[in-house]
Amino acid sequence: MVGAFDYAPAIVLLPFLSFLVALAGGKYLPKGGAFGGIAATAGSLVLSAWVFLTVSAGNAYNETLYTWVAGAGEETTRLTFGLLLDPLAAMMLLIVSLVALLVHVFSLGYMNDEGETGLPRYYAGLGLFTASMLGFVVADNLLMAFMFFELVGLCSYLLIGFWFRDSGPPSAAKKAFLVTRFGDYFFLVGVVAVFATFGTAKFAGEGAFPVIAEEALAGSAAEVTTFGFAPETWFTILGLLILGGVIGKSAQFPLHTWLPDAMEGPTPVSALIHAATMVAAGVYLVARMYGFYALSPTALGIIALVGGFTALFAATMGVVKREIKQVLAYSTISQYGYMMLGLGAGGYVAASFHLLTHAFFKALLFLGAGAVIIAMHHDEDMWNMGGLKERMPVTYYTFLSGSLALAGIVPFAGFWSKDEVLYEALVHGLGGSPLLLAGYAMGLVAVFFTGFYTFRMVFLTFHGEPRTEVARDPHGVRWNVKGPLVVLGILAATIGFVNMVPVQDLTGIHLEFLHDWLAHGELSALTAEHYGELLHDYAHYTSADVASYVAGAVSLALALAGAGLAHVLYNVPEPTEHTAKLGAVKDLWYNNYYQDEYQIWIATSVVLPLSRLADKFDQGVVDGVVNGVSSVSLFAGSRIRRIQTGVVSNYAALLTLGLTALLVVFGVLGGWFV
Amino acid sequence: MTPLQTQLPTWTAVAPTLLLGLTALVLLLVDSIDPDSTRPGALAGIATLGSLATLAVAGWFLLAGTGQTGSGGAIELYGGSLVVDGLSLFFTVVVASVVAMVSLASYDYLRDRTYQAEFYSLVLLAATGMSLMGSSGSLATVFISLELASLPSYALVAFLKDNRGSVEAGLKYFLVGAVSSAVLTFGISLVYAATGSLLLADVASAVGSAGDLVGIAGVGIVMIAGGFAFKTASVPFHFWAPEAYEGAPAPISAFLSSASKAAGFAVAFRVFAVGFPLDAVVPMGIDWSLLFAILAVVTMTLGNFAAATQENVKRMLAYSSVGHAGYALIGLAALSGGGPNGNVMGASMAHLLVYGFMNTGAFLFIAMVEHWEVGRTFEDYNGLATRAPAACLAMTVFMFSLAGLPPFGGFLSKYALFYEAIQGGFWWLAAVGAINSALSLFYYSRVVKAMWIEDPTGEFDLGATPVGLYAAVMVAAVGTLLLLPAFGPVVETAQSAATALFA
Repeated sequence: MVGAFDYAPAIVLLPFLSFLVALAGGKYLPKGGAFGGIAATAGSLVLSAWVFLTVSAGNAYNETLYTWVAGAGEETTRLTFGLLLDPLAAMMLLIVSLVALLVHVFSLGYMNDEGETGLPRYYAGLGLFTASMLGFVVADNLLMAFMFFELVGLCSYLLIGFWFRDSGPPSAAKKAFLVTRFGDYFFLVGVVAVFATFGTAKFAGEGAFPVIAEEALAGSAAEVTTFGFAPETWFTILGLLILGGVIGKSAQFPLHTWLPDAMEGPTPVSALIHAATMVAAGVYLVARMYGFYALSPTALGIIALVGGFTALFAATMGVVKREIKQVLAYSTISQYGYMMLGLGAGGYVAASFHLLTHAFFKALLFLGAGAVIIAMHHDEDMWNMGGLKERMPVTYYTFLSGSLALAGIVPFAGFWSKDEVLYEALVHGLGGSPLLLAGYAMGLVAVFFTGFYTFRMVFLTFHGEPRTEVARDPHGVRWNVKGPLVVLGILAATIGFVNMVPVQDLTGIHLEFLHDWLAHGELSALTAEHYGELLHDYAHYTSADVASYVAGAVSLALALAGAGLAHVLYNVPEPTEHTAKLGAVKDLWYNNYYQDEYQIWIATSVVLPLSRLADKFDQGVVDGVVNGVSSVSLFAGSRIRRIQTGVVSNYAALLTLGLTALLVVFGVLGGWFV
Repeated sequence: MTPLQTQLPTWTAVAPTLLLGLTALVLLLVDSIDPDSTRPGALAGIATLGSLATLAVAGWFLLAGTGQTGSGGAIELYGGSLVVDGLSLFFTVVVASVVAMVSLASYDYLRDRTYQAEFYSLVLLAATGMSLMGSSGSLATVFISLELASLPSYALVAFLKDNRGSVEAGLKYFLVGAVSSAVLTFGISLVYAATGSLLLADVASAVGSAGDLVGIAGVGIVMIAGGFAFKTASVPFHFWAPEAYEGAPAPISAFLSSASKAAGFAVAFRVFAVGFPLDAVVPMGIDWSLLFAILAVVTMTLGNFAAATQENVKRMLAYSSVGHAGYALIGLAALSGGGPNGNVMGASMAHLLVYGFMNTGAFLFIAMVEHWEVGRTFEDYNGLATRAPAACLAMTVFMFSLAGLPPFGGFLSKYALFYEAIQGGFWWLAAVGAINSALSLFYYSRVVKAMWIEDPTGEFDLGATPVGLYAAVMVAAVGTLLLLPAFGPVVETAQSAATALFA
């Protein structure tokens, strides 16, 4: 029987087709090829939903579809493309295709209605971006994942730099490309190392590399090459190498600097990058190979600390920004920090949950910000807004829904997931991994900042009196903007209900559907249950007994405190800037902790002199040798030419002399004349 | 089922060679019946058809296994003076392919010239000699076939009788050839003195027990090597080559530098592999593989260095041909008692086959340029691609293939040659070869650069398209390309043929 899995490749191929169509014929199509993209992503969404339902019925799919490099013989490494459809992938497919569809629709309002040029290029980029991310999600091995990971990076480069005639976007695109590439470099080394170690890079099934790694640690594996390290150490090194790519893509400290600049791209693209594709790819990768990371407490600890630190660090910077998209950018970095904290703390389900809720509320916030930007005639400075609440109610209420979710106010989606991340960090921290408590503390403080900057943004944008003429009479938006906002607004409010652990603990009603969804499955090595055993056996994570509603109440209180402070300071008819009161801290935050400056310093003071040295070596030594060889050759050639005098008696003489020389040399060597 | 040719009388094994000679006689007959009218189409057609028939029969024999280990081993005729085996058939294929292309191209080149029938019959007689060289089982047949190949060649180089360059080149070629023949004959007589036989098999069994006559045998062997070095245009017997290739009509340059060189290697491979087995002569102090190693290094280096500084494209190709003789000599140099000798020699044979296509094509391109009267230097080629893109594309294929770049036949053949040399333990020969190949890229790419990148210095007035020349160049280009995918079977055939020699 033909089932959903047989059509699964089409999930990836449909947006790719729309990319080709938009590229080849976009200028002849209405709306620059937008409808093709909408149809393709809608198709992907329908197929994803079908896959989702099939997976719900307890099925899973893990097949190699195409072997593109096969070594000779049986025991050689093969490079393949294949599909891995398990609950995690099915969930992610739904997220990506839904957000991509809504972004396509929204783009009709943001790009077409605003009369942008180059639309075929835009829709081709969106199509390829979506296809790459979907391909990444369904990848069944690390190399395929890497290839699509790179495609995702390429697409983000193309789309961030969409307005390439301005000065900002091209340099932002380059920065995004280079910074993430720096991380991907480690990832690539990691991929090669995984192949060298295990001979395979499959995520799941017989002989998958996390399984072999587990067996190696248990002492029952056949053979892995660990290059002289203890297996634990080597697996940690592998995990950290791959983590390099994750940190770059998911904009974790210290490779987060590209993300705020990436706001130069069109806002729907920002929504796609932040909610469902580029940035999500990093976290998804860790979740995809969680069975491998769960074996290494060191790697988990580093993930948790990086995540917790990034969550707090980015949240503080979001506090002082003037532009609405900048605030959202830092909130993205911060939220992905939470997901990393969750993964590092052993909360696989919690992190996946936060990935799910964040995808919807962040897409909502970006699209809402996009609507505001349309209304404000592409002015992004919140201090030029104010009072938009009455003039654009749909945008306001949906944006508010997203903000409540972001800030983590009960019962909106972000509350449940963020709370669960923090809860996992807390219980495992108290249960004997004190390192996680540091992550928890940072995450908890970040909750306060999140509440504050989120509502500062809401109040400055929508409340009070309009501060400019434009804000008094904003540009209207059409159905194609409002529609996606409403869909996402509802999801942001409700998606959290799939996993209400604190309520379950309080009332005893069974409400943790996402836990159930991820805990079981046909591929037993990819289930949360199995990860729990691994975490216990190899990472030695144990849970302390803390009631989840207590932890939830603490973070809710902090979020409310942050929101309340914002309310006091900014929810007034004529808000004023309070950032000056922060003193030196304001400068520090406003300049992003001088992260860009120190990276530029590294580039100019360390890398550049090294490059100059290499250039000198290249110019002087390498080119010198090459040029020397060539001039010596030409000189020798011109000398050799002179042997050929054109006089035939010279030839006869030289010929005879040559033969005589050979005869003498070989005669003497061979002892013929003795 | 018994293959057809096993039911034929054994003398039919030399049918390819006979076909070549027969074609030459038919050409003379046609000419003597009707000496006054020139029928360029008919003459070129007969020559091309004859060589194609030879190619077909030789190819059929080769594929069917005539004279090869699979079907009873080498076929010996006339008391072993003629031998038909994989090696001789392989080189007959090379020679016949080159003759077919050259005959096709000469149709346009010889337009409005007299003595066309003589031209074609001389080419085919020389080809008969070359084919016979590969089949020579005794030193007497070696000498006779070599002269049969050489004498028509002298006349052909001087074919443009009213052109001073051509006549001068022919005379020089003849004089150097005479000296070389003398050296070869003297060498043969010394070997006969030491071993008492001219048959290679008998020489092989007797040479090991030469005893006090080791000096005589050694001098004889080195002199025989010198005679073959003349035929293959190897240092120090190469002096005729640049002059002859430059002065001769371009199709003859193609013929001499491809087919004649291949035939020289054919006879050298057989004489040295069969007649002077390394196991027997090296302990006596006659290390001819070392001799060829020295010749290989000197030849490829000298050829490539001299080619790098030429201004005349044809002369550059002449020196590049000397350089390629150096590469092919690796097939005689990277040998050792008990080593994988058949593989090295087979790789060299395969290289000569590929070389037959790419080098013939390159010289025929020169013939086309001469036909157009464009000029001889690199500068004259500037911007030629704007007028003749297809031909220039073919020339680019030849140049890059000669340099050994993928994706052309020359890449794999050179790669296989160097690889087998390394497998045989002669990594330094391979290294010298690789360095020389890198150098050769310089002067080959100069041609490509001139044709495609430089702007034309003046107007080209190319006139009508020379159909035969064009077709021949395209055949060579397609052959060069097809030998990349077809290289596997080619090199396997060559290596099994060469291995049979050492058995």
